[in-house]
Amino acid sequence: MLLQQLLNGIVQGGTYALVALGYTLVFGVLEIINLAHGELFTAGALIGFFLVGLGLPLPLAILGAMMGAALLGAVLELTALRLVRRKGAGNLAPLISTIGLGLVLQNLYILVAGADPRSFRAGIGDSVLQLGPIRVTTVQIIVLGVSLLLMAILQFTLTKTRLGRAVRAVSENPETAALLGVNVNAVIMATVMLAGALGGAAGVLVGLSFVSVSPIMGAAYGLKGLSVIILGGLGNVTGAVGGGLLIGIVEALTVYFGGTFGSIYREAIAFAFLFVILVVRPQGLFGQPYAAGKRS
Amino acid sequence: MSYYISVLQFFVLNSLLGLSVYLVLSTGQLTLGNAGFMSIGAYTAALLSTKLAMPFWVTVPAGALAAAVVAIPLGAACLRLSGVYLAVATLGFSESIRVLWNGMQSIGGPMGISGIPSIPGAIAKAIRSIENRPEWLNPKTTSDVAMLLLFLAFLGLILFFLKRQEKGRVGRAFAAIRANEIAAGAMGIDPTYYKVLAFVQGALIAGLAGALSAHLNFAIAPAEFGFARAIEMLSFVVIGGTGLPLGPILGSGVMAFLSEALREATSLRFILLGLLMMAMMAIRPQGLLKRRVGA
Repeated sequence: MLLQQLLNGIVQGGTYALVALGYTLVFGVLEIINLAHGELFTAGALIGFFLVGLGLPLPLAILGAMMGAALLGAVLELTALRLVRRKGAGNLAPLISTIGLGLVLQNLYILVAGADPRSFRAGIGDSVLQLGPIRVTTVQIIVLGVSLLLMAILQFTLTKTRLGRAVRAVSENPETAALLGVNVNAVIMATVMLAGALGGAAGVLVGLSFVSVSPIMGAAYGLKGLSVIILGGLGNVTGAVGGGLLIGIVEALTVYFGGTFGSIYREAIAFAFLFVILVVRPQGLFGQPYAAGKRS
Repeated sequence: MSYYISVLQFFVLNSLLGLSVYLVLSTGQLTLGNAGFMSIGAYTAALLSTKLAMPFWVTVPAGALAAAVVAIPLGAACLRLSGVYLAVATLGFSESIRVLWNGMQSIGGPMGISGIPSIPGAIAKAIRSIENRPEWLNPKTTSDVAMLLLFLAFLGLILFFLKRQEKGRVGRAFAAIRANEIAAGAMGIDPTYYKVLAFVQGALIAGLAGALSAHLNFAIAPAEFGFARAIEMLSFVVIGGTGLPLGPILGSGVMAFLSEALREATSLRFILLGLLMMAMMAIRPQGLLKRRVGA
């Protein structure tokens, strides 16, 4: 079923896009890759699991997960990013310090929640919507719906609000933004928290669609999100969404057309695809060529 | 006794891996692909020795060379990129290679290759066959020490080579490119040539370390060569210092010491390691060792 695989790919791609948006927002304002982002994602999944276990309805659990992951984002900004930024230490230092925080968080999760994956059902039935030849599960509807809703809210925030304008100003040029009265540190804090919230929501959604959460689930999704933003173009919101959907669909089609071979090499094909794009078009599919006048 | 020798063996092996990342960094480029080159070295050595029964002195150099040969076209294609893009492209290469090993059932798939002839094993066997061997010639300890000495010999050789290279034309070109690629180009240095050179040298060392590790451990599996390995190699350099070859060696020493000190508590160990990495970057982002200007 080609259409069915396409739908699965789009739902999967939606979660990739949410993860990728977190990377891309932080890259936009700081020009660094936050390698602890996968752990914010895991935090969301674990908090969501915990809240559902307490008997909270799913929407509240998702909100709680987003808030928890956003708070963790604030911790990330205060420790791994701000302290290193003060030193003006180039862009290798924040990369390492976020890896460090990622290690700390992942192992804290293992200490607190145990290393084993847990089954995550959230009381959603297995009911299926039959749309002609396509079967849509309730989980798929929730995942796609929440992803789209969050993307719309983000788009609105970035383009229509005062905060969004400040974020865009800092991405363009932090010094000029500061001169014009934008509180750059506050904007960075808000951006990192926003990225955390999106990552946390993605964590719950992925937990729902795979019916399981684990303290190490962030690693694979972190890598995937990374390939998405490189594919779509760093710091580019359209690119993160487009790239996420594209990788989701390419993976689904690889499985559909490739059979066993495809499912074994699914990951390799996604990476190979990324690799070719990078070499042919280094700025990513949706990115502008290296801007001459931008921050060096 | 034998336990501490094995800790030292891993320390030297990790120093080699750290140096392989250091070399690429010395032209100002960040690679996360050396876990992939390490796996190419390890698989080449393992396949040559298990399927074709080749001796160590063929398989180890062959592993290193195989990695370097793959690195030439890859470097030429990738080094148009820089910074984060290069890091992710090389990571993409490394992950693709890992998935490839994982999927190839004929070479063990996710289980990897086992029954690789081990160098210490061969030495121990040779010692056991000596008639009337003296009391002090313990096969196990002697062979472990011999392996450690072999590792140290490779490390010494590479350090010697790097020291020589840094003083010469190539080293100065690397330093110039690291300082300012455009200026270096304007001075008549071909940045692409030297960046690919450093990349291939790094791959060669990573391949060597991979081949040696295959002959140390009896068995290899694709999971050993993942993202965690790439990060680990990078952390040796960043903690020790990115400016001079002793940096990665000190870095892997510090990490080996910490891992030993916290051996009992795995999760706690990684938490402390992570905190150390963060503290290091906040307090001394250039690493423990720093090259003195003009030295």
